[in-house]
Amino acid sequence: MDIDVKNLHPLEVKLLRHVSAGEDITEGSIISGLGYKVGQCNQAFSWLSSKGCLEEVSRTKKTIYELTDTGRAMKEEGLPAERIYAFLKEKGPHAMPEIAEALSLEKSDVGSAFGLLSSKGALRLNEERKAEAAGELPEEIATQRSLLSRAAETGSLEESGLSDAEKKAIAPLSKKRGASSSPFRIQEREEVVYRLTDKGAEMRTAVINANITGEEFGVLTPQMIQTGSWKNGTFRPYGINAPTSRLIPGRRNAYSEYLQWVKDKLIALGFEEFDGPLVENEFWNGDALFMPQFHSARDIHDVYYVKDPVHAKKIDEPWLSQVAATHENGWHTGSRGWGYSFDHEFTRRQVLRSQGTVLSAHQLTKAHVPGKYFGVVRCFRYDQVDATHGADFYQTEGIVIGKDVNLRNLLGLLKMFAEEIAGAEEVKYVPGYFPFTEPSIEVHIKHPVLGWFELGGSGIFRPEVTEPLGIKEPVLAWGLGIDRMALMHLGLSDLRDLFTPDIESVRTRRGN
Amino acid sequence: MPKIEVPENIFFSLLGKRMSDEELIDIFPVAKAELDGHDTENHVIKIELNDTNRPDLWSAAGVARALRCYETGEIPYYDFFSTKDDERPSEGRMVIDDESALGIRDYSIGFAARGKTVDNDLLVNLIQSQEKLCTNFGRKRKTIAMGIYRSDLIRYPVHYAAVDPDKTKFVPLGMTEELSLREICEKHPKGKEYGHIVSSFPRFPYLYDDNGDTLSFPPVINSARIGAVEIGDSDFFIEVSGPILDDLLLAVSILACDMSDMGFEILPVKCRFAKDTPYGREITVPYYFQKPMAASLDLVHQKLGEDLSGEECIEALKRMGVYSIVDDGMIYANVPEYRNDFLHGVDIVEDVMIGHGLGNFEPVMPSDFTIGRLSPVEEFSRKVKGILVGLGFQEMMYNYLGSKREYIDNMHVSGEDAVFIANPMSENYEVIRPSVLPCLLESESVSGHAVYPHSIFEIGKITVKDPEDNSGTRTIDSLGFFSSNAAIGYNDAASYINTLMYFLRKEYTLAEAGDDPRFIPGRAAVIMYNGERVGIFGETHPQVLESWGCSMPSIMAEIDLDKLMN
Repeated sequence: MDIDVKNLHPLEVKLLRHVSAGEDITEGSIISGLGYKVGQCNQAFSWLSSKGCLEEVSRTKKTIYELTDTGRAMKEEGLPAERIYAFLKEKGPHAMPEIAEALSLEKSDVGSAFGLLSSKGALRLNEERKAEAAGELPEEIATQRSLLSRAAETGSLEESGLSDAEKKAIAPLSKKRGASSSPFRIQEREEVVYRLTDKGAEMRTAVINANITGEEFGVLTPQMIQTGSWKNGTFRPYGINAPTSRLIPGRRNAYSEYLQWVKDKLIALGFEEFDGPLVENEFWNGDALFMPQFHSARDIHDVYYVKDPVHAKKIDEPWLSQVAATHENGWHTGSRGWGYSFDHEFTRRQVLRSQGTVLSAHQLTKAHVPGKYFGVVRCFRYDQVDATHGADFYQTEGIVIGKDVNLRNLLGLLKMFAEEIAGAEEVKYVPGYFPFTEPSIEVHIKHPVLGWFELGGSGIFRPEVTEPLGIKEPVLAWGLGIDRMALMHLGLSDLRDLFTPDIESVRTRRGN
Repeated sequence: MPKIEVPENIFFSLLGKRMSDEELIDIFPVAKAELDGHDTENHVIKIELNDTNRPDLWSAAGVARALRCYETGEIPYYDFFSTKDDERPSEGRMVIDDESALGIRDYSIGFAARGKTVDNDLLVNLIQSQEKLCTNFGRKRKTIAMGIYRSDLIRYPVHYAAVDPDKTKFVPLGMTEELSLREICEKHPKGKEYGHIVSSFPRFPYLYDDNGDTLSFPPVINSARIGAVEIGDSDFFIEVSGPILDDLLLAVSILACDMSDMGFEILPVKCRFAKDTPYGREITVPYYFQKPMAASLDLVHQKLGEDLSGEECIEALKRMGVYSIVDDGMIYANVPEYRNDFLHGVDIVEDVMIGHGLGNFEPVMPSDFTIGRLSPVEEFSRKVKGILVGLGFQEMMYNYLGSKREYIDNMHVSGEDAVFIANPMSENYEVIRPSVLPCLLESESVSGHAVYPHSIFEIGKITVKDPEDNSGTRTIDSLGFFSSNAAIGYNDAASYINTLMYFLRKEYTLAEAGDDPRFIPGRAAVIMYNGERVGIFGETHPQVLESWGCSMPSIMAEIDLDKLMN
């Protein structure tokens, strides 16, 4: 059996040391033996019972006469009848009010005591209607006297321990409830008798062997340190596996922490972060990315339009003219263009950013060569909201500009993302399609938990994208689908949970 | 992304052999396709096509052709294409476009096919190819509508004109009574779906044969007689109408090649236009209209990082179905009849890459040294988050789109600075949030079960109107925090603000908040920094709490971090 005496409270320790196997253990025996209060006694019984150290052997109803404060005073000063009898015997006959005043008794108490004593012939009224002693004090008074004395020893008397005469004598002194003016309060109580179990006996032995007395120090107080009193004893060892209480700390959001981790990874790989407004226009959201204005992804059912203002005031030059010419006839990019007439009003129409690549396009106009840039940015898609589609969500995108960057660098970059950010075991590249990159590559990875899935899309920006925005050098563009990894990291399966408003769920959420 | 479903036997017969799912998964990427599923019970293969600029791949025949080429390196030869100088015999088959259709839907062209009796699978597959071309490539029939007719019932030439929509009547497919074109738009299911494309014009497009029998009302519906193709038919006339000639020519070429691959004999049709085109007034269709494309070997080397020889490029392109020659450092490629996606030399480069095999390119890291750097607002936000977490706040993250009820009505504000969406999908997502505070209150309203105090915050973007900005709006990096408890008040909020500002080293002053319905009057303050208002905080007004269904007193604050950072 596994005995850990450190899990015992001092109340339990002292009780165990006090009792022996086979002995009846009751509240009375513990209170009188160890000086516990009733509450302490009950705690010790309950704890030890739940640990299997005590077992209940019987449970009996008892009537108890509890000595009240009145009773204790009466024991010191004497019973009213006693005192009146002694007073009259010593000082001679007195009128009732005189007696009450001399002994500081209530008149009613004097009256009832006289009634009792005169009926037994101990007192009588003389011709002057004064009370005087006539015979011996009745037996009943002496009995009451001794009852008071016995009760004062333990604070109470059990009815089962009284003789018939005593029961008769105690009755006028007792009341059931609210009887603070009576010397005794009658209590109906259950007396439970416990005995040590085998386990209790072993525990008792263990306590004794461990030399634990229950007198060890509990909480270390400032006073103990100041006075040095801690040097005079030992500290009670605490149960280290005791249940802990719940703390609610201030905390970062687990999803936000994950995104921060991704950002830090990218910073470590030499990328500089970009950011931008949520409201964009068709020019940056599509035209600058060489998506023709009639492209199916630019339909009313794919992008959110801003109600007011409908249009941006202007699109900056020379980007507007250069991009428009590129769409129409290829401008100087070597492309034949899309061969349609560019709509200069449509291009100013305002939308909610639908793809992170928009910010890559913006970045081209202010980029350094060589340069690496990224953003973890919120995008909006015209989709029915469900477990795999949010109204708004984060995209992680970036670009690499350099004089000599090429497809093989792009593959190297994707491999690095796959290993550093996704912890991929294997990487596979397949041709992809994006309107703004050529060639385009998708990277699929074998994740230790999720298996094969598409980590992201990438490619080399088309010259029709980079040249009108002032960049002659090749630009690698990439985007990573990190939401799937974020869900796995957080142990979630529904994208909507990433943005839950539920405080309790956010408080308890943690990453892997 | 277009998706198609193809009966196994049709697909494998087009492919020339059977392949396992694993083999398909491996080979599909060369056609930018993915195996989307294989219904082995009904013997149907599901394929997703990722290249939205390659309509030739959106059919079983197109995917099979690409895979066949890739495996064998043999470029298919189609003998039925005419060019400007080399016309194939049309044997009296002709489509004549009338000038009445100009400005409405300029062109109608077509070709005929025969020699293969269609069964159910083949017919379904043919209609699927037609649908993909019209819906995805033709933008829901706006730029391409296609009809398939019973050629044996047609007396050539076929006429295409725009006619009076009330006087022209015929029995449309799927009905038994004669309707006018206008009635078709109003009553026929296809009319309701596609009628809007032409219904604003005074005259509607109409296709009929030389007997005056109706073929169709393009782009809406075929006639119930000539336009009703059934199982067992083997002679067809295929007509395509729309406003952009190159798109129509490409659609025709794709379908003609597909049908040829399926075993049909393709019969050319002469088409006479009502206006001048780059190809003249009269051409024979299918017509090869693409121009050769060139790319320098240097471009290939620069983009791919691999010094491929001219021979290697020619071989790679052959596997992509592209015939090419190399001369003096330049690759000249003949664009396949069924493709029109070569805009720039880089499009040749990509085909070289796929044809050469992506697995043959060794990944290398970019060698340029660059410095990684967080954005200034991200750095500042991290400081703020650290302080708030230290103060016992839980960071939250919310969606940026929501309802007017949440963002405006429940907050008792006017909402005049909020940016609304013109085409919301539902009223639950109709406004960009103008403040973080309603999001925090939503948390409070759904978190009655969570242990108090509720101390939460978010740093995120909000958008408000701003006439100064080019967009008329301003996106702000905003901090919002909120705390509710049985005993909490203005002084707690002020202490949080004071602590935050102390550690951010920001000297601020407070001003009366005045009449802000979100806060209890006299228990809110505006935060002034650099002489500018940067935020507000105070005790949440019980009217706001009531609207959100909250019953715990709370304080809240919102600060413009863009302004505070400077």
